[in-house]
Amino acid sequence: MSQANQAVQIPTPPVMKKRAVPTAALRKERTWLHLPALAYMIVLTQISFLLAVWFSLHSWNLLVPSEGFPFVGLANYVNTFVNDPNFWPIMGNTLQLVAGSIILALIAGTVLALLLNRPIWGRNVLRGIATVPFLVTPSVMALIWKDLFLSPTSGMVNWLLHFIGIPNVAWFSAFPLQSVIFIVAWEWTPFVMLVILAGLQTVPGEVLEAAKVDGANAFTTFWRIVFPLLRKPYQIAVLFGTIFIFQTFGEIYVTTAGGPGISTNTLPYYTYRTALNSFQIGQAATLGVIGVVVAILAARGMLRLMTERTEAERG
Amino acid sequence: MVIAAIRKRSNFLWTVLTYLLVFLLVFPVLWMVLTGFKTEIAAITIPPTLFFQPTLDQFMLAFNGGFSAYFFNSVVAALVSTALALVLGIPAAYAMVFQMRKKSSDNMLFFVLSTRFMPFAAILVPLYVIITRLNLLDNLFTLIIVYTAMNLPLLIWMARSYFLDLPQEVLEGAWLDGASTLQTIVRIVVPMAAPGLAAAALLSIIFAWNDFFFAVTLTYTNAPTLPIMVAAFTSNEGLFLAKVSALSTLVILVPVAIGIYAQRYLVQGLTGGALK
Repeated sequence: MSQANQAVQIPTPPVMKKRAVPTAALRKERTWLHLPALAYMIVLTQISFLLAVWFSLHSWNLLVPSEGFPFVGLANYVNTFVNDPNFWPIMGNTLQLVAGSIILALIAGTVLALLLNRPIWGRNVLRGIATVPFLVTPSVMALIWKDLFLSPTSGMVNWLLHFIGIPNVAWFSAFPLQSVIFIVAWEWTPFVMLVILAGLQTVPGEVLEAAKVDGANAFTTFWRIVFPLLRKPYQIAVLFGTIFIFQTFGEIYVTTAGGPGISTNTLPYYTYRTALNSFQIGQAATLGVIGVVVAILAARGMLRLMTERTEAERG
Repeated sequence: MVIAAIRKRSNFLWTVLTYLLVFLLVFPVLWMVLTGFKTEIAAITIPPTLFFQPTLDQFMLAFNGGFSAYFFNSVVAALVSTALALVLGIPAAYAMVFQMRKKSSDNMLFFVLSTRFMPFAAILVPLYVIITRLNLLDNLFTLIIVYTAMNLPLLIWMARSYFLDLPQEVLEGAWLDGASTLQTIVRIVVPMAAPGLAAAALLSIIFAWNDFFFAVTLTYTNAPTLPIMVAAFTSNEGLFLAKVSALSTLVILVPVAIGIYAQRYLVQGLTGGALK
């Protein structure tokens, strides 16, 4: 913005120059206004993280205080990667939850966005209503899904399925991870819809008109013309969706509590259980550190994949 | 003419499909609200009953089950943490937009974004240890501190994007008149960016209100919030579908109302202004 003002100044320097001075001067001024917020975030997130790294290098079990806090080097990490039979299956669960939910949400969200982008009666109200699954308290709605819809005895889903001859299914025992994935995808569908709708506003109408004149059908128009123009919104939906879905907790806690067995444990959930159920602080801190590394690698990997594709297409 | 007729008809079908899909999407919420007005017997009846004698009994039971204490905790945690995040976040955003050099401002933005991406589970262990040592477990104050940290990045990046849109001339006028930084923020920047800041505050309230992770790990009996009440309801008292539905309806009322009101800002708040 200040650059724009400077561009305007050129024809009439005497008057405009005087006005532009404070901006330039103020920009160079030393400021402390951001320091309280910065300090707050550093203390709560960065220092906490460093403490987690420190704890992860020690053996520490709150239930066995006599053992103290001995330094064990990377033993906790070796223990997690090599000796813990639960760790790799739980990483698999995490990957399935994140990938499954985001893919389902991308498909459903895209369909809804395209439908709600058409000029239909009550469009804004419909958009507002369609946002609701994203606004409702996740843990609360997951409980409602479990008790009202996916309950084996009185659930509506089983009642509907019996019409097509499918006998009662105990969803959270037979398909625990899939059921959680479904609920999470339901919650995140409106997010994808909103992002794609925002993206669709930037698709020029003339392009669509031209496609229509050329006789392209709706599917071709979307796949060949609209979809490539929506690359950025999709990148954002995938990146942010992945990062937030990775944190899924309440939905698991109230529906399956991580079970049966470890089948719905994800890395964050396992971290929580190791810390607050078995009180193995050193081991839990290790899992937490691994979680941060996974989140950073995933975010960076996705960003790189996206930018590489852009460059390849440019070249 | 035939083509026009076909097109009109297919348009109508698409519209019907749109209404149908949106209805299906929110059906679980609608059904929950409906179930809250049923008796327990009617709630578990199969086939599900659509027409019934509505009753407010379940809402009354939910209210009498200690609702007000949980409600108080939820409201205080959400409002105070949002207020704190505003007090810390607005000056930070102001410094980033109007005072810092571009490079430091960009670094700060990157740092803010990266704190929002950090998995909560990673900081749970050290936070839990520190909070236990300080004897602050199960304390509303602790929840407020944690929610402030959770919402501060959101507030900074939303405030930043609104401050960037402010007309520079007005601010320069204020600086020329010799207004102090505090005066500029309080009298000019905040009022001009008020709609955006209000939306950011509302989103921050939703996030704090909907949190389950910190509420379940850091509170027990003194400071639990409404989502904990709902989760405890079923585990303690067996399955009371109508009662749980009534209680859940009360809990989701706040975020749904706020979210629909601030709908336009929802995406921006979550994606850090990467998409306006």
